[in-house]
Amino acid sequence: MPERVILSIGTKKGLFVAEGAKTRRSFSLRGPFGTGVSVYATLVDTRGAPRIYGSSCNAFFGMKVLRSTDLGKTFKETKSCPAFPKEDGRALANIWALEAGNGKKDLWCGVEPASLFRSEDGGDSWQLVDGISNHEHARKWHPGNGGLCLHTIVPDGDRVHLGISTGGHYMSEDGGKTFSPANAGVGAGFVPDPYPEYGQCVHKIAGHKDAPGRLYMQNHGGWAEWGGPGGPRPDIGVLRSDDHGRTWHSIAKGLPSDFGFPIVVHPHDPDTVYVMPHEGMTRACPGGAPAVWRSEDGGGSWRKLAKGLPRKDSYFTVQRDGMDIDELKSPALYFGTTTGQLWMGRDGGEEWECLFDALPPIHCVKVAVA
Amino acid sequence: MPQVTVFVPAPLRAYSGGAAELRLDARSVRRALEELERSHPGLYRSVCDETGAVRRHVNLFVNELHMRERDGLDTALAPGDKLTILPAVSGG
Repeated sequence: MPERVILSIGTKKGLFVAEGAKTRRSFSLRGPFGTGVSVYATLVDTRGAPRIYGSSCNAFFGMKVLRSTDLGKTFKETKSCPAFPKEDGRALANIWALEAGNGKKDLWCGVEPASLFRSEDGGDSWQLVDGISNHEHARKWHPGNGGLCLHTIVPDGDRVHLGISTGGHYMSEDGGKTFSPANAGVGAGFVPDPYPEYGQCVHKIAGHKDAPGRLYMQNHGGWAEWGGPGGPRPDIGVLRSDDHGRTWHSIAKGLPSDFGFPIVVHPHDPDTVYVMPHEGMTRACPGGAPAVWRSEDGGGSWRKLAKGLPRKDSYFTVQRDGMDIDELKSPALYFGTTTGQLWMGRDGGEEWECLFDALPPIHCVKVAVA
Repeated sequence: MPQVTVFVPAPLRAYSGGAAELRLDARSVRRALEELERSHPGLYRSVCDETGAVRRHVNLFVNELHMRERDGLDTALAPGDKLTILPAVSGG
């Protein structure tokens, strides 16, 4: 069977799967799966036989992990779901991240309250990762607007990078056994100390396999006008590290806002990175005019990509996992909105078209060629 | 041991083999939940979180009264009592 472009779309009312040929001329939609229940994390796992995972986050009856082994035609619950030990005292409130681990069936899962689980059997059993979940800082982190969530997991061999709101960036160099905060240069706007050791509201982190040590971060920016203790903190929102996250520096100059949620790296060029600047107050693109911004020099300069997008009156948010890029030769970007639109930008975002315009509010979008 | 009837709401019947009612022996709401944990673990996990607390948006009624209007999880059950699981009302 020829390879297909598979989009897994987590929404407020369940998981949808869109499938199209590699030409990406049209997509057919399946779902919703886990009907009526919010999906905050999804993963298209193309290691071996493709599997699609989705978190099913039921505010009434608790959390589930859904898995498909037929490219999203059907989904079943995995045999178990991440859960804290009874004596721990914490209870799972949400599942925010699902990522592939090192082993063929290894999975990572980030949850609220901010903790990490891992599975070695494709999601049928889960173990709490003590090194971060019971870190000495864990009971000192504070919840952000989305709750106290561990939402970003970036595996890199024996390194594992985590994004926690509001805990900051934590890194393991021993395969996930132990973790340390690594936030030098990562600002925070909501505490008196502008550069604390930990406690930042990281929104998303992305890396690239061809650039060891390079990481990009979308942090909680929007503090240029801050007049409280510690003074203004301009340009703390979009950052880059070249030493595996030990130190970070701003690459926000040239963007219309340093606030936003997703950050995505081109699959074939680690110098090309995409963000979607939002205004801090509206959680929408400046002036209600949506645009993705691209840098082709690692954040040195930025160019606006808005051809085909609405020019005004659009006040949607694109959430932290709401944007992804496929791995075809000329890759397309995709983003989903809180108003239920799924957009595709051909040629790395040069020209946009709306694939679906009336889905439920979209939390997350992942794409793979399978 | 009193035999009571547990009413299962439609969204949770995937965890009760499709049954709308389950019959079990239990002297209290707490014991009924413990019995559910043994006999229908998926149903139990949908009603209680991993600390054992009843989920925030799940209501348990003993006959016509919410358990919080009686003695909570320690509410005694008598033969023939009905324990009803209901999601809290949401929406507008």
